Amino acid sequence: MTTSLISIDWRVLVPVLAPAIGALLVLLVDALAPRARGLHLPIGLAALGAGLGGLPYAVTTATPTRTLCLPGPDARCFYETGPTGLTLQLIALAGSLLVLLMLGPGTRHLDRMQRGGPAVTVGLVLAATTGAVMVVAARDLPTWLVAIELATLPAVALVALSRGRGAEGGALSLLMVSLTSFAFLACGIGLWVLATGDASFSTDTLRVAFDDTPRHRVLLLSILFLLAGLGFKLSAVPFHTWTPQAFVVSDEPIAAYLATVSKAAAVGAAVVVLGPLVSVTAAGSDDGHSIRLVLGVLAAASMTLGNLVALRADDPVRLLAWSTIAQAGWVLAPLAMLTPTAVSASVAYLLVYVLGSLAVFAVTAAVHPRAEGAGERSLTAYRGLARRSPLLAIVLGLGLLTLAGLPPAVLGVVAKIVAITPVVATGQWWLVAILVANIVLGIAVYLRWLLYAVRPAPSITPGDTAESAPAPRLDPGLRIALLLLAAALVLLSLVPGLALGLAR
Amino acid sequence: MGLIIAMVLPAVVGSLLIIGSRRINAGAAGFLALAAAAGALVATVAAAASGARIKRSWVADWGIGANFATDQISSPLALLTASITVLVVLHGLRHRPPGGSAGLYYGLLLLVELGALATFWTRDLIVFFIAFEIVLIPMWVLIHRFGDNHDPVARREAAIRFVLYTALGSSIMLTGILALVGQAGTSDMRQVLAAGLTSDTQLWIALLLVIGLAVKVPVFPFHSWLPPAHTIAPTAGSVLLAAVLLKMGTYGLIRLPLALTPDGFARVGPLLATLGVVGILWGGLICLVERDLKRLIAYSSVAHMGFVALALGTGSGLGLQAALIANVAHGVISALLFFVVGALKDRWGSVDLSVVRPALRESWPGLGVALMVGLAGSLGLPGLAGFWGEFLAIASAWNPQGSGAAAPIVWLQDAERIGWFAYSPLDALFEIDGIQIALTAGPPNAALIRGLAVAAALGAVLAAAYSLRVAKLIWMGDEAPRDWAGDVTPVEALVMAVLAIAIIVLGLMPYLIFSGPTPFGGVLR
Repeated sequence: MTTSLISIDWRVLVPVLAPAIGALLVLLVDALAPRARGLHLPIGLAALGAGLGGLPYAVTTATPTRTLCLPGPDARCFYETGPTGLTLQLIALAGSLLVLLMLGPGTRHLDRMQRGGPAVTVGLVLAATTGAVMVVAARDLPTWLVAIELATLPAVALVALSRGRGAEGGALSLLMVSLTSFAFLACGIGLWVLATGDASFSTDTLRVAFDDTPRHRVLLLSILFLLAGLGFKLSAVPFHTWTPQAFVVSDEPIAAYLATVSKAAAVGAAVVVLGPLVSVTAAGSDDGHSIRLVLGVLAAASMTLGNLVALRADDPVRLLAWSTIAQAGWVLAPLAMLTPTAVSASVAYLLVYVLGSLAVFAVTAAVHPRAEGAGERSLTAYRGLARRSPLLAIVLGLGLLTLAGLPPAVLGVVAKIVAITPVVATGQWWLVAILVANIVLGIAVYLRWLLYAVRPAPSITPGDTAESAPAPRLDPGLRIALLLLAAALVLLSLVPGLALGLAR
Repeated sequence: MGLIIAMVLPAVVGSLLIIGSRRINAGAAGFLALAAAAGALVATVAAAASGARIKRSWVADWGIGANFATDQISSPLALLTASITVLVVLHGLRHRPPGGSAGLYYGLLLLVELGALATFWTRDLIVFFIAFEIVLIPMWVLIHRFGDNHDPVARREAAIRFVLYTALGSSIMLTGILALVGQAGTSDMRQVLAAGLTSDTQLWIALLLVIGLAVKVPVFPFHSWLPPAHTIAPTAGSVLLAAVLLKMGTYGLIRLPLALTPDGFARVGPLLATLGVVGILWGGLICLVERDLKRLIAYSSVAHMGFVALALGTGSGLGLQAALIANVAHGVISALLFFVVGALKDRWGSVDLSVVRPALRESWPGLGVALMVGLAGSLGLPGLAGFWGEFLAIASAWNPQGSGAAAPIVWLQDAERIGWFAYSPLDALFEIDGIQIALTAGPPNAALIRGLAVAAALGAVLAAAYSLRVAKLIWMGDEAPRDWAGDVTPVEALVMAVLAIAIIVLGLMPYLIFSGPTPFGGVLR
């Protein structure tokens, strides 16, 4: 009777199971009724919607939702979500939902994006989302590792199936990075097990290992490996080089997926690793300081380099790729402080970044209607956007200002404040200085783009193609995604507490 | 209620005008905006008179509250903001700059008003920062879209420089705010006051806050964003910049470092005062040789704000009074001057002083009178608004503890008289919710501060010199034919008359701005 070994609460697992079952269902439908191309998108949306509906919204830090528990008084559970986990799962599910809407596989869209057919596209998105949702809640090392790879590999396939020129090359570089990252993570995990003698992320065994000098060294090495592996996934400098290569060749919604859902998975994985570390180093140790320093330097380098290069980019998707690198720094900065409030601050910031990014990516998907490869997109295509299509201009403006952290996108401002607060509270003044400089750099980056959209129509050059072009026709899915994002950004700018309170 | 109406009205009407800017015609947009601005003004007056207060939780999990109130320091500036917005919208009805639709133009003006009012009224540190940032994007678009279109590159650079400089300043201020919030454990200004921080903590927080706000004011080495922004901005943009945005900086200096970290501010004060005086002299000297009239007025703003910085830096009650009145006076005077210069620029195409033109006195006497009132106010002529701020700033620097210099005010004020909406800055500042703030930490070095007083007095002489230079170059001159058609339009006449009257009224009755039973030098309760 193996069922009695571990107790399973299926209701708790709905957020993970829904996309997984959805993926299976899509493949099944494709096998049984290959002609029913229109069915896949509704199945995908329904699966993600069911996952969203199954999230434990009322969860608190004191009483996390748990399942897959071993029997016994000190029951240990292998699936656990608290408020931060809930937020990350929400990001992954809602982000995938919006990406699917933007892709619209099986509708008219299909011909210009994603070569694999609707079943493949929906199946891959659902599979990757399953991984992203699972990794946050995984409390044992093997599941964690499998989940993080499950979140990555389908994304590689999605990049490879993009229509843009050079998609295979981009996918290859992403694959190489994934493998390297996997190698780092596997080494890290091996060392973790060696040091703690325990195949789960448990505070108790970690504390024992921390106090034992020889094991302590192994543990530090393990943490270093894990951080390096996650650095790739997060596209933090110096592990970032794949990001612009993969982004520019992908269809815009796929790039959006890499920038948002994949980031949520990476942050989720990092939170799982750092969670026990936070409680162990809370007492204040030298190792806390050195880990803080390493992460802080990564954060500082990411945001500075990302913003500086983004300042020069002309391809909007390349700009967004570098902006993703910069924003990874902003997510890392509070995380580096290793305090419980800092972790929730980092997740809250991620939520806001994801909203802003999705908004901007949705606009790029609408503005560049043909699948244009690298080097063919240009910021000049946004000239006079405010006049051609107010909806696109408003969503673009809100998204860019959210990323820049300027009103009227109050949400972005509050997110910046939330991210800086733990750094100031911990007294890392060198990092504060770099954050301040990067607020200004970031504003320069995003306003440069916005400048094109608000620029008055150049009446002197009547032959300007960008100007005389009619408003781009929006596919229904894309239009819904744009409206949803605009509504979310406006609503959350009025009541930021709704979004930011979630992670607490 | 007044507070909510005064903020929601411009926010909603402004956003709707911007969103619907393609569909609404210019006339309708103008009247809608005018109605919103007038409604906000009425609500502001009501709020100031009733001492309204709102306190609600906003981002509860992170301890940020929607906490707004009026008091004796906020109200004059809020009233100034609301009035100037009405004038600017009124001016736009007839003299809207080209560059975009009417809805967009008025919407931006109203959003700037929203940001300024929220800044002046909030009592939550985090919300203060957010409100402070609200004005950035509307002002950026205003300069970028509606600014002087002779040189697109210069226009773009001026707009982005404005945003980046002020964003840098406010980010530095943000770190100060967050440090303060972290140390005090709350972002409610009233409770921060009660937290009782140590003097050293106060010093570095005050330093961060002062540096951050100094960019916005602007104080001397941080002023280089102001002249290009003023030169390029449309008339309404320049007016709002000078009359409203700069005031947010000086108001912030009073509300944050001075009130919340008084011990720290007292130690930063001499530095601030010194930089203020350098700004007075620097601005004055540049004004003596500057050829572009709009840029000249911008540099004179740097000089005038230098007087405010000096007055605040003395750390005395008298200095605070001086800063408050100099703030409002500069708002009114520079608004008038920018309206006049904007009108001249519309008519002449440029305001290069080296070009010989028909004398204003002869050809356009209406504009001529308005210009002369503005210049006279700017040079600090007694009897006009500009006099009190500068005179008291110098007096407070010469003798921070004394009250002798204030005798004329006491006399003017009819001893115990209180302004029409009863308030008293000293009560507000020195005893807020039962917490005593003593700003008595006078300047540590009497020689330094007296030297600064002398230098500032020299700066006042420079102000007279450059004002008269301008008057000589464009107001006086040979006889020229009267040009009725080119003179002030009715709307311009109305706007300028209101401001000119305000300058005279404030000059004769300064107690409208600082009043109370013991205005200064008296008992610091």
